[in-house]
Amino acid sequence: MELQAVLMAAGGGSRMMDLTYNTPKPLLPVGNKPLIWYPLNLLERVGFEEVIVITTKEVQKMISTDPKVKLDVKMKLDLVCIQEDADMGTADALRHIQQKVKTDVLVVSCDLITDAALHEVVDLFRAHNATLSMLMSKAHEFTETVPGQKGKKKTGEQRDFVGVDGTGKRLLFMANEADLDEGVVIRKSIMRKHPRMHIKTGLVDAHLYCLKKSVVDFLADNKSISSIRGELVPYLVRKQFSKSTNSPKVIDETHQNLKKNDSNVNLEIQISSRDEELLHLTQERSCWNDHRGDMSDAYHGGRLRCYVHIMDEGICYRVNTLAAYIEANRLAPKLFDEPAVHPSAVVSERCLIGADSIIGASCQISDKTSIKRSTIGVSTTVREKVKVTNSIIMHGVTIEEGCNIQGSVICSNAVIGRGADIKYCLVGSAQRIEPDAERTNEVIVGTDQLMEI
Amino acid sequence: MSSRGGKQKKGNVTSEQEEEEQPLQAVLVADSFNRRFFPISKDQPRALLPLGNVAMIDYTLEFLTSTGVQETFVFCCWMSNKIKDHLLKSKWCRPTSPNVVHIITSDLYRSLGDVLRDVDAKNLVRNDFILVYGDVVSNIDVSQALQEHRHRRKVDKNISVMTMVFKESSPGHKSRCEEDDVIVAMDSKSKRFSMGTDEFEIRHDLLDCHISICSPQVAELFTDNFDYQTRNDFVRGILVNEEILGNQIHLYVTQDGYGARVSNLQMYDSVSSDMVRRWVYPLTPEANFTDQQGQGCTHSRHNVYRGAEVSLGHGSQMEENVLIGRDTSIGANCHISNSVIGNNCTIGDNVVLDRAHMWNNVHISSNVEIHQSVVCDGAVVKEAVRLNKQCVLAYNVVIGPNLSLPEGTVVSMHHPEEEEEDDDDEFLSDDQEVGHSKDKTRQKAFNPAEVGPEGKGYIWKASMNDTEDEELAQCLWGLVLNPDPESDSESEASEESQDRTFQLEVLGTLQRGLEENIVCDNLVLEINSLKYAYNITLKEVMQILTRVVLEYPFQQQGTQLTTLQYTGSLLPLLKTWSPVFKNYIKRAQDHLDCLSAVEELFLEQDTHQTAMVKVLMKMYQLEILEEEAILKWFSTGATNDKSRQLRKNQGLQKFIQWLKEAEDESSEEGE
Repeated sequence: MELQAVLMAAGGGSRMMDLTYNTPKPLLPVGNKPLIWYPLNLLERVGFEEVIVITTKEVQKMISTDPKVKLDVKMKLDLVCIQEDADMGTADALRHIQQKVKTDVLVVSCDLITDAALHEVVDLFRAHNATLSMLMSKAHEFTETVPGQKGKKKTGEQRDFVGVDGTGKRLLFMANEADLDEGVVIRKSIMRKHPRMHIKTGLVDAHLYCLKKSVVDFLADNKSISSIRGELVPYLVRKQFSKSTNSPKVIDETHQNLKKNDSNVNLEIQISSRDEELLHLTQERSCWNDHRGDMSDAYHGGRLRCYVHIMDEGICYRVNTLAAYIEANRLAPKLFDEPAVHPSAVVSERCLIGADSIIGASCQISDKTSIKRSTIGVSTTVREKVKVTNSIIMHGVTIEEGCNIQGSVICSNAVIGRGADIKYCLVGSAQRIEPDAERTNEVIVGTDQLMEI
Repeated sequence: MSSRGGKQKKGNVTSEQEEEEQPLQAVLVADSFNRRFFPISKDQPRALLPLGNVAMIDYTLEFLTSTGVQETFVFCCWMSNKIKDHLLKSKWCRPTSPNVVHIITSDLYRSLGDVLRDVDAKNLVRNDFILVYGDVVSNIDVSQALQEHRHRRKVDKNISVMTMVFKESSPGHKSRCEEDDVIVAMDSKSKRFSMGTDEFEIRHDLLDCHISICSPQVAELFTDNFDYQTRNDFVRGILVNEEILGNQIHLYVTQDGYGARVSNLQMYDSVSSDMVRRWVYPLTPEANFTDQQGQGCTHSRHNVYRGAEVSLGHGSQMEENVLIGRDTSIGANCHISNSVIGNNCTIGDNVVLDRAHMWNNVHISSNVEIHQSVVCDGAVVKEAVRLNKQCVLAYNVVIGPNLSLPEGTVVSMHHPEEEEEDDDDEFLSDDQEVGHSKDKTRQKAFNPAEVGPEGKGYIWKASMNDTEDEELAQCLWGLVLNPDPESDSESEASEESQDRTFQLEVLGTLQRGLEENIVCDNLVLEINSLKYAYNITLKEVMQILTRVVLEYPFQQQGTQLTTLQYTGSLLPLLKTWSPVFKNYIKRAQDHLDCLSAVEELFLEQDTHQTAMVKVLMKMYQLEILEEEAILKWFSTGATNDKSRQLRKNQGLQKFIQWLKEAEDESSEEGE
């Protein structure tokens, strides 16, 4: 086995609390499938047979009991639960399963929806014997109106500066706008080795990483790192050019020191990929080089290498905000080909259902309804003369007669009263909207769900 | 050459007829406005120094002509007469020349800025022009860049003011000047200098050729901004004000082609060897593009060039990359490699020359060894002299015999001190200058230990020259900058120093509080704001606070306090600041942290350990610390021998005993 897949599905979805109040993020329905299905499907498509899923007890319970959350994958899932309140980061989680990690790992986040060719990332990892390879994509503009959001929202998150070399593959530099005091500071030693550096902004990190096993071991020894994206990746990127990892002499010393169990001093160095001897010899004898312009060895003798594959086109979303969730729902049907209307749904013949809509299992759609560009969840009842446009209706929702729902998200088990007119709203789970209500651009949730400040 | 210019002209006629009617103009600045080539350039302006036995300005003019320039303004200042004489004799001033050369001299030019302001004042340029220095050697065909420049200016009305020509060459390339180590941020698509856009490229593999295509506005902008001295000032000014004024600077990157500015001797050395190795084709030594009689030479294998009437002694070898000027005679058994020898030189027997640059009329005696050095016109090197690397013998110097000059020696007939005296009138005409120097030469005797028994000349030390602010600007051979140590940037040191500064700040705050009688609430406020400023955790705040307060008497009255004095001054302080403590010490853990800080301090100040009881007692009385916390600390906190030792202190034992009893009593009372 070359790579072990690890799926991180313990996140709380803190950036879309309104949605994840009742449903944990991994199980949010996207195109009537739980969000976690998408990364699992991605892994299954490329031939993984086993996945370690790191998740919470709650999710595990729902997966095993709730019939609505049917994962529908043939892979063997190795569910590992972590405590929800332990506030563990992704790196903590990886450390948690260190015992299970036998080879290099492919870490995927549960909120990734993409049609990326995964082999591109893995090939980079293989070809350069990299320590880290990751996937990025051009950021998408979200076009849909987001409920409860006044005006055009500025992208609140700060920009990431990503520096890649001339080939666009080697990851040289990474910084977040928030960490920069005055402008981008790039060490000259990097410039000397890689004279051409493309600095890109407007990329999203897909949170998909290939990591060497040694990195997981490194994490086990270095307890201070708690997040992969926030700490580990920037650390690795930076370490590529620090002297200690580059000069072979130090490495040799490290080996000796390690034998003496003096691992404390050299914790940091362990992470450099220790090339097997044969590989090293091959590299020495080969005339191949990764750069031109100077006479130094391939990779300038560096042992630690980070690579990134940047998708130019295709779908790549991280469903971690409401806007992304809505966008993902719009695009999800394109990712799988199943009948838009589930066979077990009862759909009246005298209703209008657009081709870009999905109707879940055991739904009841009554006469004279019109459903366009929308997703209707499992066991939802839609009564007569209802108009649903551009909306996401989750499971078990009841929509009474004559409602008009536009650009909204209706969470599970909500009841929309007769004749209500809802535009660009988010209706929390199990909420009741009184008949003939008119709501526009609102977030309607229970009082207990309001965030504590 | 001229045919190329014609071709380019035809290509453009269709698109830009109107502009093409006017001839392409160039501004050539035949002055460097610095003293990098001193003392060599005391006798000859830099533009006239020979490179491959041809004056540098000829290369520049040839380059301009071959790219289709039809009118060139040569601006000279320092030793303008010599440059003028040279140009008047050259082919550029013949009536058949395709490039009309106008010579403009003034002693008032002090910088490139002055020149361009004069260009504007005299209204010389009517259209886009090429701006170069008189020491640029290049074979780049800039017509492509020119077209791009014109296109840009046509599309966006006059936004692009300058296109700078860069050559691709990786870091470490020989012709990269260490001082001119540019790093460029550009927009790869529009080839614009920029940083702000979504995507840009940072390039460190570019070499500034010092060739720029300028719009006529450039001269105006220099006039508007009278503080612009150099092109760097200009570029910076444009980039900084890009958003306001909307002017942009673009780049043109060429992959093949050669372009470099001879800005110091290091560059001189590399450009000269590139020239001999034919990188600047078609400007090669045998081409005799200056079209002067007797300059022709033959080119044979291994890049060996020989001028007319060269005589070579028996057993002498010219290994490779050697250029020998006319009428030069070389003795027997010499070894010459990678060297340029001028006209009318004589070289004795058994001479070894490697990377030597010898100009005209040089006389070398036998058994001389020269490595990577420059020997100027009329210099005489006597027998058995050895010039180590990077030596310079300026005009008419005599060295030797039997001497070895250490690396980097510069010898000149001008006394180094005279330069400083002449500092103010350096822009006077050179006749006066020479008169001056002759007087001085007579006054001061040569040092035989430095230049040999028969030697003539003064040693110039590199350190003599740093009259300018920039120290490195003065070394003749460009400085070889050591690559910055690739140290690991992450270290704990900075964090520790943060704690330290925080401690000092807290100390300052408390001091001020005492002096100015500030209310404790305000002190708390100040400390809190410091906490955020230095990003200190609450726990650390408390520990540092405790430490500062306990050390306060030492701080104020010196470390020689007796225990009694110490407690005497500390206890009132504790009373004063007890609200501050109470603000920070709230939870049980806080109490323990505070106690451990107290313990730590008294472990350090072991002579005052007896005071600890009093401090604890006071803090207990002031209700800063609770008795349970103290008891818990006492029973569990001991981690090493020292702290165990501390707990055996009699006074402390008693105090704890008393506390326990008090507790018992109170609990009894409670029942």
